[in-house]
Amino acid sequence: MKQEPNNEIDLLLRRLSRRQGAPTADGDLRIDSDHLDADELSLYAENGLPAVARARYTEHLADCSSCRKLVVQLSSSAGVVTAEETSRASEPSGLRKFFASLFSPMVLRYAAPALGLIVVAVIGFALLRPNEADTFVAQLERNKQSSPAAAAPEQPHAPTSGPQPQEKLISPGLTSETRPNRSKEESRPSAPSAAPSVSVTTDVKTDARTQKAEPQRTANAAPAQPAPKPAETTGEVRNFEEEAQKQKAQGRIAAAREGQREGAYDRTKGQDKRSDDVAAAAPAGAKAMESRRAGVGGATSILQRDNLEKDSDDAETRSVAGRRFRKQRGIWVDTAYNAETATVNLTRGSEQYRALVADEPAIKTIAEQLDGQIIVVWKGRAYRIR
Amino acid sequence: MESEIQALLNQGAGRLLARASDSRSLSKEFIVPRIFAAVEKYLLRSDPNTPREEIAKFIDEMQADDLCLIIACERGDESAWTDLVERFTATVRSAARSASANEDAAEDLAQSIWAELYGLRVRKDGLPASKLAYYSGRGSLAGWLRAVVAQLAIDTFRKQSRLVQTEEDADLDRLARDTQITEGQAVFAGIPDPEESMSNRFAQSDMQQALSKSVQELAAEDRLLVKLYYFDNLRLREAGAVLGVHEATASRRLTRIQTDLRKRVAKILIDERGWTQAETERSFAEVAQHLDTDLEALLSKEGVS
Repeated sequence: MKQEPNNEIDLLLRRLSRRQGAPTADGDLRIDSDHLDADELSLYAENGLPAVARARYTEHLADCSSCRKLVVQLSSSAGVVTAEETSRASEPSGLRKFFASLFSPMVLRYAAPALGLIVVAVIGFALLRPNEADTFVAQLERNKQSSPAAAAPEQPHAPTSGPQPQEKLISPGLTSETRPNRSKEESRPSAPSAAPSVSVTTDVKTDARTQKAEPQRTANAAPAQPAPKPAETTGEVRNFEEEAQKQKAQGRIAAAREGQREGAYDRTKGQDKRSDDVAAAAPAGAKAMESRRAGVGGATSILQRDNLEKDSDDAETRSVAGRRFRKQRGIWVDTAYNAETATVNLTRGSEQYRALVADEPAIKTIAEQLDGQIIVVWKGRAYRIR
Repeated sequence: MESEIQALLNQGAGRLLARASDSRSLSKEFIVPRIFAAVEKYLLRSDPNTPREEIAKFIDEMQADDLCLIIACERGDESAWTDLVERFTATVRSAARSASANEDAAEDLAQSIWAELYGLRVRKDGLPASKLAYYSGRGSLAGWLRAVVAQLAIDTFRKQSRLVQTEEDADLDRLARDTQITEGQAVFAGIPDPEESMSNRFAQSDMQQALSKSVQELAAEDRLLVKLYYFDNLRLREAGAVLGVHEATASRRLTRIQTDLRKRVAKILIDERGWTQAETERSFAEVAQHLDTDLEALLSKEGVS
């Protein structure tokens, strides 16, 4: 469709309208009986005519400016909602309305920030959680390294043994773990034989990193707890294990922060070592996990209960246009309503209703979003809308 | 057929009374004649063979409460009158204010409306002959009252300003003479431009005539849209509201109409005035250019922003 030819016709039509005079001109030349009566005019303006009758009146209006003028006036007064193909004809279904209400500005205003917070929390949780396991593994590996380091002084790991007590400051559990694990490893002939050679290799690599990380660790280290002395007997090993678990639980938070950095380079160590270390730490770890699960489970049950209660509340109450409504016997009742409030009865589509919503569009929003009967309190008066 | 329609009316009246929240103790015998009048006016007059389903649907869409109220008022029910006044005083006053120049005139108009509605004359059966009889019950009572107020306002204005109307009629006559075309006559209803060549004047007049004829030949709804937009100076949104369509739909229709009009005008010029296609195209461009300049000058002269 060309734009330019339409501009020409547009200009010509404007000139024609100027030449053919004021709107009331041709209407005055007709006799009154030809004009539309009040009923026809109002029906036309309200789009309440059957198609055939409407076509007849359209014919008249196209040529009668006075009737046209009245229809225009009545149409604007009536505030007729036009029948656009995408609005009234395709009125959304209940489900679509529900989703539309979820994305209404009022809801989005609160939902968007809440959603953002949830996303941040989930990301933070996802980032932190694996690092704790890595930290745990790193601690075990370090414990293993420190035992061959003590046996072989010429090893480059020796310098690390010096700062080891400070390393252990990261988590007191490290310190305490070292000895019992070393003892465990000593009691298992296969493990120590493999460990030292690997430890030497990896310790060379870790040495530099450890030295780099050392000042930071020192700065961030939790207050050190005195490490238990090396245990010689099994009984003492058990005691030390228990002590190690306790200390580990206390220092876990501080270790987590360090563990983020340690976990990054600890992962570069031989992965095959990890299985032994994890197996060694399994009993302690399992207990820790159990306690954690218990706590989480308890929290989850509370959370689930709260959610259920909230869901049940939501099923009975809704917030629309800043008002809160509770469903009672099939009627949405404003929480601000009491029986003593003066109540006006309205029917949707009635003149009173239209006049009210013309002045108070929020009530129209409420009436559209809530089905069935509604009692809404507005400016000191209650309106029962059917 | 009549008995079938009568049966439909009886059934429809029953449903209407059941639907009304306050039937005002009316029985079917009072409702049926009113329903029949509406059905006859809006359905049977256009199509005597209207299907029964459509008649039933028509009746079911009538305003039950408003119709019962009006019929009760006609029958002299004082409580109904009280309700009518109480519910619609604001509507009548608002409509009167819109149609009047000042508050006093609005108040007078509103009082006149109530007098007209009540009826100063008496019918043969002793009941007042009021305008309420013209309410069909199909549309809203408030809309009908607004229309009554608007019409009464126009009648009042006409009575009060007969002298002014006479002068307007003279202007209209002059305009009508100016737009009449006879062979050899220059046609300029507006300000004649002596600098413009005679040939251009003839060309413009031919185009205006062709355009006027084309507009008259449009379908009623298209013609109405053109009149609303160009002659009544409505916005597309307002014009769309009258037609019962969205602004976007009205805009698309108008674009289609403009294209259609151009083709019609070209066809008239070529077939009836003996123009060539080239002449038509050139003339469109020239006329539009001339009018564009004209319009700008007119707007700047009138100080329209």
